[in-house]
Amino acid sequence: MYWLKKEQLELLVKKLAEEYKIFGPRHDRVSDEVIFDHLTDLSELDLQAAIPYNPPKFILFPHFEEILKYRYEPETKEVRIEQINLLEPKALIGLRSCDLTGLLCLDRFFLGQEYVDEFYLAHRKKLFIISNTCIRPFPQCFCVCTDSGPAAKDGFDLDLTFTGRDYLVEAGSKKGQVLIDELGLAEAGPEASALKKKIIDNSVSSFDSFALENKAWISRATNRLTTGFIKPEVWEYIGNQCFECGACSFVCPTCSCFNIEDANLESSETDRLRTWDSCSFEGYTKMAGDNNPRKPVEDRRNKRFFCKLSYSQSKKYLRPGCVGCGRCARVCPGDIGLPNVVTYIRREITGESGE
Amino acid sequence: MDKNLMPIVSIPEIATIVDIRDEIEDVRSFYFTLDRPEIEQAFQIRSGQFIMCTVFRAGEFAVSLPFSPENDRKHISVRKVGKVTAALHQLEPGDKIGIRGPFGNGFPFEEIKGSNIIYVAGGIGLIPLRSSIIHVLQHRQDFGRVILVYGAKSSKELMYKDSIKEWQATENFETHFTIDRPEPGWSGEVGFVNHLAAKLDLPVSDTVAFVCGPPVMFNAVIKELKLKGIKEQDIYSTLERHMKCGIGKCQHCAIGRTLVCVDGPVYTYKQIRTLGEQI
Ligand SMILES: Cc1cc2nc3c(=O)[nH]c(=O)nc-3n(C[C@H](O)[C@H](O)[C@H](O)COP(=O)(O)OP(=O)(O)OC[C@H]3O[C@@H](n4cnc5c(N)ncnc54)[C@H](O)[C@@H]3O)c2cc1C
Ligand code: SF4
Ligand code: SF4
Ligand code: FES
Repeated sequence: MYWLKKEQLELLVKKLAEEYKIFGPRHDRVSDEVIFDHLTDLSELDLQAAIPYNPPKFILFPHFEEILKYRYEPETKEVRIEQINLLEPKALIGLRSCDLTGLLCLDRFFLGQEYVDEFYLAHRKKLFIISNTCIRPFPQCFCVCTDSGPAAKDGFDLDLTFTGRDYLVEAGSKKGQVLIDELGLAEAGPEASALKKKIIDNSVSSFDSFALENKAWISRATNRLTTGFIKPEVWEYIGNQCFECGACSFVCPTCSCFNIEDANLESSETDRLRTWDSCSFEGYTKMAGDNNPRKPVEDRRNKRFFCKLSYSQSKKYLRPGCVGCGRCARVCPGDIGLPNVVTYIRREITGESGE
Repeated sequence: MDKNLMPIVSIPEIATIVDIRDEIEDVRSFYFTLDRPEIEQAFQIRSGQFIMCTVFRAGEFAVSLPFSPENDRKHISVRKVGKVTAALHQLEPGDKIGIRGPFGNGFPFEEIKGSNIIYVAGGIGLIPLRSSIIHVLQHRQDFGRVILVYGAKSSKELMYKDSIKEWQATENFETHFTIDRPEPGWSGEVGFVNHLAAKLDLPVSDTVAFVCGPPVMFNAVIKELKLKGIKEQDIYSTLERHMKCGIGKCQHCAIGRTLVCVDGPVYTYKQIRTLGEQI
């Protein structure tokens, strides 16, 4: 492990900026929220800021993206397909471990399985990832229930832990080590590991006093979701509270459903666009002739929770699909963020029976 | 996998429509060849698979492959139902389309050698079965009895009439047809295809059935076949879902814990029953 002095952080970011487009958490004055964003002004990077409102998934899987362009000439009937170059070096600085875990879920989903998603791969190829240990949880967090925090275990190039004055730095890759060497960071003594462990232990034990909004004892819910032994009334109770707004999918670090649409431009060019989608929308499964196999909203809602917590889906991510960031609970206009749904499933709450 | 046999995953390959045939009202077959010779050469399919077809300036849609993996002309048969399929129906020979695939698991072929085979189709449900029927007839000696039970609303709605005539010329291919209501000049059966299936003397042991058609017909036929004693794991069908990517990423085609585009579209009835969703 190494020491990064607070003053050296600026140096590190500047160095990375020579090669990478820089993303990180910053405080947005207009919305008064912390957002994970492209930093045009590097001084805006704020590693002490709270968990960002949005996860970093948009960097690899943009909300709205042109994946292909083609030109069709009606006269000659010629078609030219143009591949879009999505390869761009990007550095993600200050990722919290839930979001890093979410990103690793997306990696396994888009790059593993039967086929590799080439568009995701292009974004992923040249990433530099710096994670940031949560030395204290935020009110919405429950990563300790989902085994995804408060500190990163793998997947980073560099991992930072704030010790009160400076940062302890650990390299997770060769790329990371090279940067440490280039900056000439001072090696931390043998006591560094114990110090880091203590900081993490402290963070874990402070969940009881700081992370008060959410808890999710997911293992029982996982069993039930996998075996399907959940009363229809429970799904109805959950479905009745869904406004079908899709917000939960959009703020979730692991939700990855998308739509593809060809948009014609004025010229003879067409953009093939891929956009975020949500299984909560009614049109999601609609087929020709208005035949929709998943019409009732509860049919669609249980899909999301199946995706986050069932064992069969976990096999794709090699872990549960929920990383405990608490964002869905924050944005849901109903009261069916994931932690609440877990509670409803565990206790089979159907409205009438109450708690 | 041999790299040349890999499906076309992300970027569509351009193909030219070489021929168009009207099948029934609103359903047309589009014969195509892939423009790049090496791709045309390498394009190999299994019966029951599908492709994602781009109609330029309109969009992309999923469509079954009705041609045999061996010695058959490449084509798709498409019903005009919405935006993209209507745009396809506007095209003429010489026009270009885009192709990704082939995708999906396909019907078993090696595993069912030696069995009797019953095909039951309703309406355009014959499209996804056509490839398998031809493939089996091309290897007729490897199978027991081979039977087609086919029904449609009217005689005008029976697909692939020319192909059926050719198949009937094959020895040992039994065919039974039915239409919903009587028509002048119709000598086949009248009534729903499940009623016809119920009446027929069908083999039961060492028998696999392939059933394709609208959900109502599908459920009624399954009931009859099960009554006769055909096992749930020996009944195959293809499922249809809204599809956007074809490669297991967009999740639109999720059904139960499976994705139709990669785990299907071919399922046994036993699997379908445990998916826990409407088909
Ligand atoms: C595996 C598979 C095989 C198919 N084989 C054939 C075939 O051989 N012949 C044939 O005529 N049709 C087939 N279909 C159905 C065909 O894909 C739809 O009819 C077509 O997508 C409708 O597109 P549209 O834009 O014309 O209709 P619209 O109603 O305008 O479609 C809007 C959107 O909904 C989606 N959609 C609509 N209906 C369906 C549907 N039934 N299945 C999947 N997505 C749908 C389309 O992707 C499209 O983007 C198949 C579907 C699947 C999934
Ligand atoms: S945020 Fe809540 S209301 Fe909106 S789609 Fe998700 S579950 Fe439904
Ligand atoms: S399901 Fe909710 S709490 Fe879990 S990772 Fe997604 S947004 Fe975060
Ligand atoms: S069509 Fe996209 S996952 Fe199946």
